[in-house]
Amino acid sequence: MRLKPWLAAAALCALAGCAQIVKVEPGQVTVKDTLTLKADIAWNRFELQFPLSVAPGASEVWTQDGITLDALAFFVGVEQGKTLGTAIGGKKLPVFRSTMTPGEIVELYEQMVTQDGSAFALKRVAPGRFGGQPGFRFEHTITRKSDGVLLKGMAQGAVVKDKLYLVAFTAPAIYYYDRHLPQVEPLLASAQIK
Amino acid sequence: MRRRPFLLGCGCLAFAAAAGLRADEYDYPMPPRFTRPEAGSDEGGLWAFMDREEQRLKRSSFLIRDKALHDYVNDIACRLAGDHCPEMRVYLVRTPYFNASMAPNGMMQVWSGLLLRMQNEAQLAAVLGHEIGHYLQRHSVERLRDAKSRSSFAMIVGMALGVAGGGSLGALAQTGILMGGLAYGRDQEREADRIGVALMAKTGYAPAEAGRVWGQLLEEYEGAKAAGEDVASSNILFASHPPAEERREVLAAAAKRDWPGAARTGADEYRARLAQHRMGFLHDEVRRRRFGESLVLFERMLKSSPRDGQVQFFKGEVYRLRAREGDARLALDAYRNALGMDNTPPEVHRSLGTMLRQAGDSAEAMRAFQRYLELKPDAEDAELIRSYISGSQS
Amino acid sequence: MIFGMRRALLGVLLLLCAGLAAAQPNLAPGFTRLAPNSTIALMPADVELFEISAGGVGEPRADWTAAAAKNIMADLRARSAKLGARATEVTGDHDDVVEGLNGLHGAVARAIVVHHFGGLKLPTKDGKLDWTLGPDVAKLREKSGADYALFTWVRDSYASAERKAMIVVGALFGVGMSGGVQQAYASLVDLRTGQVVWFNRIVRGTGDLREAEPAAETLTALLTGFPL
Repeated sequence: MRLKPWLAAAALCALAGCAQIVKVEPGQVTVKDTLTLKADIAWNRFELQFPLSVAPGASEVWTQDGITLDALAFFVGVEQGKTLGTAIGGKKLPVFRSTMTPGEIVELYEQMVTQDGSAFALKRVAPGRFGGQPGFRFEHTITRKSDGVLLKGMAQGAVVKDKLYLVAFTAPAIYYYDRHLPQVEPLLASAQIK
Repeated sequence: MRRRPFLLGCGCLAFAAAAGLRADEYDYPMPPRFTRPEAGSDEGGLWAFMDREEQRLKRSSFLIRDKALHDYVNDIACRLAGDHCPEMRVYLVRTPYFNASMAPNGMMQVWSGLLLRMQNEAQLAAVLGHEIGHYLQRHSVERLRDAKSRSSFAMIVGMALGVAGGGSLGALAQTGILMGGLAYGRDQEREADRIGVALMAKTGYAPAEAGRVWGQLLEEYEGAKAAGEDVASSNILFASHPPAEERREVLAAAAKRDWPGAARTGADEYRARLAQHRMGFLHDEVRRRRFGESLVLFERMLKSSPRDGQVQFFKGEVYRLRAREGDARLALDAYRNALGMDNTPPEVHRSLGTMLRQAGDSAEAMRAFQRYLELKPDAEDAELIRSYISGSQS
Repeated sequence: MIFGMRRALLGVLLLLCAGLAAAQPNLAPGFTRLAPNSTIALMPADVELFEISAGGVGEPRADWTAAAAKNIMADLRARSAKLGARATEVTGDHDDVVEGLNGLHGAVARAIVVHHFGGLKLPTKDGKLDWTLGPDVAKLREKSGADYALFTWVRDSYASAERKAMIVVGALFGVGMSGGVQQAYASLVDLRTGQVVWFNRIVRGTGDLREAEPAAETLTALLTGFPL
């Protein structure tokens, strides 16, 4: 996952210079035209120009305290035959099929987030509702490759009209996960899929 | 510092020419022990480079830190290497590709994909013996000095040092490609094959297993090709010369010679030593998503031990994950067959349930899920599975 | 983590984004200086020194790292004695609380560098130094009796004999390689709230933490503006 340093710098500078991070104001928010949510607090949204390893290829990534601390990644309307997220560094990712079970969707997520060498452990997967539809929820941990910090994660999703909708939240197990989860839960509970 | 002329000459290999193959090409007198080359020589630079890779490897989270298994493989390598044993350091690496390599500084890597693929101790000895052959003949140093390979080696050095855009490769892939990138020549491979056979026979292993290793590899290659998988990038060894067919034939012919006392295959011991890691290695193999190769491998494993429930389960997993037309049926068949076999993991019931449910046979699916929960009540997906059973989830 | 972030950051900081922060960029809102008679817990330095042979990533060197940690802590001790500050040390080998918080501090510090001092500002932070290590720091307070804790995070890399051999190998093939960079972050954390009340960072191509004297110079640079 190593870029040539100056190249990475250039990429980041391009990001810093051109687009940066945009404020998501409290209220009704629409992600990729089809997922609506009601935000109680403001968030910071990355204007993504290249994949972030917490969620390469996500439709959107939001954060409260910064990319090394917490990330809320939206994967909206992943179509049949497409991968969840994007492959990095010549890796191969499996594709989504609408008949997949939640367990199989967790496998897709695991393959995506472990591309950089991070370790994934599933703690729990259970049925649930998402976007007003029957769906699932899972909880997991990620030991981040880059600095060894243990992250906790929670994701909710549903397959609606053969498309996958998945939102995953990750943050350090010390404090940050618990800090932001109370904001993330109602946000995800408010989700509606058009 | 750029563009210093390549170090000229270097007389530090005086004995390399003396060692080597004599009148009977399988009579191999080992060269005397090696010592560390001058730091300022090209060989010294190569050693320093490999030392650096070795430091990286020692800390890698992919290193298999199982002393018993390490000692077992190390002992085989050591007996093959004879007097050179103290120069070698064996590292078992969890990465699901067929590869072993021995660097000029004595670092030997054995990848889990190789361990999974070898059917017995003698086959492992054949591969290790071959790599030790390259080492004893200092082939990498020869390659380094060969003008034709120098530019490609430069690229590899650059990649490993992160200056030539090789950043997309993981550290392990780097080292592997680094070793492969030395791209031994045709004659070097032949020589290493001959030495490998000589060493394994001297150590008491049945030389016929050496040719079988190549036969097996060829089958997987054909399997991958037939499945339309990208064969060139899949295995460093497929790309090497001489062709695998030739090596298989030459090695098979070599095995027909008279090798007194060379009869050990050690299949049972090999299997027992690997048992603890087998589920993990099989899981890695499937996650590689090279389904054609994996299927050939699994069929071969099942042929030699038809009641292997682990392999049978993962054969089903290949079909489930490949998910082509007709694969659902094949997965179901594989899982059902696994049910009556030995050491079948509880996950087979979950996978069976999943596929049955998708096929619309919910009654039998529910029975499979029930069974999974009975065997693994604390599974991380227990709630989800329970929801399938209670029917709250469509 | 953005790919290659650590190095990328250097580039960003050095090339573009220096000096873009707000008026009092190093202090949390409402904080001006340490209350009189407060005690500072000196956290074990989170330090790693690398041989720069790996072209951008480097190989960790345990011996250098141990020397640097010793030099940093000795300097902090001497410095606090000289300034008349009340300092106490937290020892942390194999202590989950200390190691966990030090790890978290690394992530927080990098967030501050990227999102506060760097170009990727977080609109919700409104330009304020507003980061925290959370309430777990209470455990440090219990442990040390201190009011604040000083966290340091240091990564540094140097050429080595091995590196020199590499440069030779590289040069043989026309591959050029560059030298190392010193990166250091320091945070003063209020142990009642977890708030990072003061933060500073240096990113530069000089310095040597393996020796006491140049290590002291690094800390002088890193602790510039310390709110005593």
